[in-house]
Amino acid sequence: MCLEPSKPLGAQPADLPVAAAPSDAEILGRPDEALHVESVATRVTSFDQYGHGYQSQAGPLLGAGSERATIFEPQLEIVASQGDRLRHVLTVPVDVVTAASPDAIDHGPASADVVSGASRFVVSGTIDWAATYRASAESDVSMRAGLHLEEPFRSWHGGLATSRAFAGGDTVVALSALEVFDWFDRFDVTGHRFGRTQRSSTTASAGVTQVLTPTAVVALNYGITLQRGELGNTWNSVPLAGAERGPELLPGERLRHALVVRASQFLPWNGAMKLYYRFYSDDWGLVAHSVEAQLMQRLTPSVYVGALYRFHTQTGVDFFTTLATPDRALRTADSDLAPLDSHTIGGRVVVDVPLAAPVRALHFELGYERYVRTNDLRMDVVTCETGYRF
Amino acid sequence: MTRARAFAARAVAAAAATWLLSACATVPQNRRAHLADPMMGLTGDALDTARRQKLYDTREGAAGGDGATAGGGCGCQ
Repeated sequence: MCLEPSKPLGAQPADLPVAAAPSDAEILGRPDEALHVESVATRVTSFDQYGHGYQSQAGPLLGAGSERATIFEPQLEIVASQGDRLRHVLTVPVDVVTAASPDAIDHGPASADVVSGASRFVVSGTIDWAATYRASAESDVSMRAGLHLEEPFRSWHGGLATSRAFAGGDTVVALSALEVFDWFDRFDVTGHRFGRTQRSSTTASAGVTQVLTPTAVVALNYGITLQRGELGNTWNSVPLAGAERGPELLPGERLRHALVVRASQFLPWNGAMKLYYRFYSDDWGLVAHSVEAQLMQRLTPSVYVGALYRFHTQTGVDFFTTLATPDRALRTADSDLAPLDSHTIGGRVVVDVPLAAPVRALHFELGYERYVRTNDLRMDVVTCETGYRF
Repeated sequence: MTRARAFAARAVAAAAATWLLSACATVPQNRRAHLADPMMGLTGDALDTARRQKLYDTREGAAGGDGATAGGGCGCQ
């Protein structure tokens, strides 16, 4: 049985090397320079989170407080081409979060919701625009810019990237740089606002993608990120000896390294296996390993199913504590920075239906994931995507 | 136990080396149909990748470094 896949809606051209080939313009003549929408996709995801962490004050004075939250996340992606060399991708994710926000602080003198009840909500949104210019059949350059808006938080990012194909497209080398600047309100642990603070994150990365065989491809990527400024959210608290809570005290700089290996192998029974490994290390003392395996199986030319398992383990930062002495220079009780293991298990169904013009394909995807962390955090994730290719 | 682990590590390394060395021959364009299958995408669907990355970045202290942003949103990184 040979099941040829439908034309994918969500195919990522950057994933696979593309060899030198005649362009549309060379075949069809001068291209139309107008903006053509190639695809529109929307995804809606809900996160239902339960758990406790020592940074939260929604619990006993010196114990772990609630990290209960529900998050509703709609996303929109529009891909458009302009001529045969320029391609735009506009992405707009929105988060509606029922907790983890100091939304209440600006409206009253009392404590913040994250500090007390962890029950208010905040809406945040991002606009991200990436434009890729194909300089030649082997190389392209891209620019990315965006803005993030959240009630106590503003963030801007911009980046440049380039890639070049070698060996008939078997090998693609990519370089990228990204700068993120965050500007946000500073609070104390009792929920009072003290002006504004900021941080910057500068990332540089290099990667190579290699086609190994007609059924296997592998990618290797290394990246480094330097962060400076206020590196916490300012309202996280730390239980202190003496039956009180104090603020988190973090270094003003953090240098992060990550090495990622990805591999994808087509399987003879119309399936695919994808493997992922990530090594992470930073100068706060946190070392992490993440591995993930995905198995896909095509059921019909238009339908495939997938299952995934991910395991993550990390050592925690050097200054993590659940009960600090008041004189410690550095301290955090943030459960995200603690030694922990996490497991994710999930599955999805994907349908790509070819249609007649003007809509050439319909894409539908439904997925579920269960995320469990060993330091008392668990989450159910349901996600659904629909999209159209024109 | 240690010898068994060492043997397993060598076996995995040998298999990986064999797999990688197979890339010495160029794969012609007309034999890349399987590579173009959407199931084979190394990074997957863009929206799915973005929402999964945010999930892990905001719940594990190991974000950033691999071309993705560390910062921007939530104030929790």
